[in-house]
Formats: sequence, C-alpha cells, structure tokens
Amino acid sequence: MALLTPYRKVPELNTATLLLVENEEQFQSRLADAIVQREKDSTVHVRLARKLPLPVENRETRPHIDLVVFIVNLLSERSLQAMENSLNHLGSDYFLGKLCFVVTDARRGAVTQERLLSVRRLAASHRCPVICAEHQTEDGVTMAAMRLLTILKVSAGLSSMSTTALYLSTLTRCTVPSDFDED
Amino acid sequence: MDEQARTILQRIIRKIPNKKLETTLRAWDHLSSEQLQSLDYAQPKWLFLENLISRCEENRLSLKDVTKLEMVFHIDNPNQGKWHACQLFQAEDDALSVNFIQFREQFIAHLEEVIRHVSVRTKKLEDGAVWIRIAWGDNFSKPNHLKPTYVVHYLQTPYVFILNLMPKHKSYLYQALVLSTKHVSIKEAHLSSKSLSAIRDILMRQYQQVFPTNQERTLKERNASNPKIEKEHADCAERRHQMACEAFGDGVLPKLETAVYRLETRYRGNSNNTLNDKDELFRGVVKFSSSNLLESFRHCVSAGMAEGPVTPLLSSITQKGRNYFVINDKVTGAASQTPAHKT
Repeated sequence: MALLTPYRKVPELNTATLLLVENEEQFQSRLADAIVQREKDSTVHVRLARKLPLPVENRETRPHIDLVVFIVNLLSERSLQAMENSLNHLGSDYFLGKLCFVVTDARRGAVTQERLLSVRRLAASHRCPVICAEHQTEDGVTMAAMRLLTILKVSAGLSSMSTTALYLSTLTRCTVPSDFDED
Repeated sequence: MDEQARTILQRIIRKIPNKKLETTLRAWDHLSSEQLQSLDYAQPKWLFLENLISRCEENRLSLKDVTKLEMVFHIDNPNQGKWHACQLFQAEDDALSVNFIQFREQFIAHLEEVIRHVSVRTKKLEDGAVWIRIAWGDNFSKPNHLKPTYVVHYLQTPYVFILNLMPKHKSYLYQALVLSTKHVSIKEAHLSSKSLSAIRDILMRQYQQVFPTNQERTLKERNASNPKIEKEHADCAERRHQMACEAFGDGVLPKLETAVYRLETRYRGNSNNTLNDKDELFRGVVKFSSSNLLESFRHCVSAGMAEGPVTPLLSSITQKGRNYFVINDKVTGAASQTPAHKT
C-alpha cells in the first residue's frame, strides 16, 4: 500500500496534524517551529518528511494528517521533480482541499518564473492553493506559518469560520491565465 | 642593522595586526620594558617601523635577533603558507630515546656537513613540537634569510611538517632529518594544507573519531527539539549521519582546503567511441576545494547528496591521512572510477 489517504485513522479532539514535504529539508524545520509556536488554542503537530511515500515503519504511530504541504524551492529543478514524484503517492482524497503548495525564491530570475508557472499550472489542475513564501527573514517565515495555520484549521475542522476544506479550496485555488491570452 | 634585517623586520611588522604587536615584541624579549612602553602602537605601520628600528639599533640588535622575532611570529601564526607532511619510516631500535638536545646537535651537524653556509635555529614548545628555522646558503654565498624553511617535528612520532622548502634543498633536509631521528627513510605523506593544526590532527588522529557501533541513538534523544514536531525519515537520517561521521569524524573537523585525485586510467565511458578505443591513458585531475573540505563532505553524505556507503576514495582522506591520490588502472574497476556524486 503506497498511497497516503486521509481517512485511515480517527482524528483526535482539538488536534490538527500537518505534513510538510520538502526535498532540501531546510525551510521545513523553521516553518514547523513558527507554526507550533503561534498556535495556542489547539494542539498542532507537525511531521517533516523528505518525500512520499512515507516509511512503512511509521504507519502505526502516524496520526491522522489533516493537511499535506509540498514545499518547492524554485531555484532547484530537482526540488520540482521530487515534488511531482511525491504527488503520485498521495491518495485522491487529499486533493479535495487538504493539499497546499508553498514555493520559495519566486522572484529570483527568469528560470524561477518558468518553474513558478509550472507549479501554478499543476496546482490549478488539482484545484489547490499556492502560497509564495519568503524564507530568509523572520517575518517571511511567520507570514507563511500564519497562512498555513489558517488553511490547516479549516481542514481539521477547528476553525471558527463555518466552512469546509473543499469550499475553502474553491476560493483559494490557484488560477492560471490561459496561454492564448495575449493581453 | 643591515638591509636583510630591515627587510625581514618590515615584513613581520606588516603582517602582525596592531593589537598583537606589543605581545609579540614582549615575547621576543630583546627590547627593555621602557623601550616597549615608549613605542606608540597605534601609529601607522611605516612610522612604527622607523621607531622600532631606532630602538633596535640602540640595543645593537643584529640579523640573528630579527630572525628570532620571525620565528616567534611563525610559531604564533603558523598558517603563513602551505605545509607539507612527511613521514619517517623504519625506526631503528634507539629512535624512541632521541631527546631534543641530541636531535638538535645531530641535525645541525649533518646539515653543516653538506652545506657550508646554513643558519639553523631551533625551539622546543611545551606540547612536544620542535620548530626549526633554516636559512639556506650554498658553498659560496651567505644564507638567505628572506626565504627560510620552517620544519616542525614531534619527537617520538614519525611525522614532519615542512613549509617553504625549495626542491634543490630537499635532499639535504631529508637526509639530515633521517639521520638525526635515527630512521632509515623518509617519504612524502601526500598531505598538504594551509593549516598546520589540521594536518597534524589528521595524521595524529586528534579529531573526534566515530567507530561503527550496533547501538542506535535515535535522533529524538540527541536533538531535544519540540515534541510536537516529528520527522518521518528520522531513522534514515540517523543512519546517514552515522555513516558520514564514521567516514569523516564528529564535531569540529580539521580544516583541509583541497583534495586532488590524479587519474591515470583508461577511458571507460559507453558513448564516445573515439575515446574508448585508445590504448593510451586518459589523464585527468579531479580537484575538490572548499574552505573546510571535510565538513562539506560530511554534510554531503549526511544530507543524502552523496550515496552511501561512503566510497573509499573519499573516506581514505581521513583514514589514510592524505589528500593527493593517484589512481591507476591496476586496481579493480570500482576504485578506478571518479567518486560518485549524484545530485
């Protein structure tokens, strides 16, 4: 069994679990620290991984995961490829509002713009949001953490807004202008 | 003071930072305390040098005393050039009983036998290191103090570290070292670096080594991080880190700058037919350079960028204590390829 699915385990009360997947394993630890420190009302657990599929040994101890976040560093082609490979191991139920993409270094040159476009096309085809994060300053990390927390709380059902993950994702999903749009 | 002495003094004073001037001159012990106090250490260096030269001339200091200052400076700041390591082989029975005085007498005697004009100064430090400064002349001219060779030897170990040796003096120095330490031969250890302490630590194994163990310390025990953050691939990462530390060591690693692999093998690619058929050797040089090479290798392995187990080509830098390798075709196919570096 290779696919990660959200409904294998029963969620715990007042708890949300986030899975951060990043090939370089650099931004994810700082983001995790920022997320865990900000959330005071409920318990947030963060799991860090390098790629999917996740190791089989952890299957029993792994809790119910509410949101899967793929972190892509646009400066590295390998990061993008690793993300696309990992996407194949994700169960289809996650694509209904429980998936999010975070990209870093989006403003660094022409190559990153192309990669950003491909990430956005991928996200648009799956109806998922894309968050551009700035990972080199404290403020940037905090901002990304806050935005992820908002989406996480809706996915886990902890949010005060009465909405579901699927509905939120229709509002936040990425859209890409069509290629024929010249203007 | 003659011209050579002034030049050497000028060179040393230029290199010493202002803050350390006073302590270095005090360690030199050739100027009285009043003279030291009368110098203004905040002046621009050329002005300071003039004052210093006038104090030295008051005391009638000569070239010999200035070379002593140069030696004090080098002992405090050994990283002034590239150090090369050599190893002595085949110790005779009484090699371990050679003490400093015996060694010095024998060394100077052997050098003076072959070169008439050579100027040698030695000093023994508390950690057992013997520093030797050699200014070479030849049978007709006086020693040139502007290009001295520095040699560091730890008595009772077979290791010698050499700085600034010219090829024409190599055989004289080697012969003197071999005879005065009561060994039979000396060979180059193929280890060189700007930092003396780095090559000393590698050869004498004074860095923190890690040995293969069956016990696995989990990452959770070692990093007391937030209990709410868990890593999925913790086991994998721990295993990679252990492998990296076994190959390169733990903690602070000795600072090497380069590793050079000289290939003298035949071309073994599968695409280019013209290169494949040649019988002659495909010569190439692979050079790794970094501000701290061992640290970068260790990080490559523990981050998963280089595949494990660590290839013996890389781990023999620490295991064998060398950073210059010549790879021939005689060894098995695996060892004659360049180190695998997959991104």
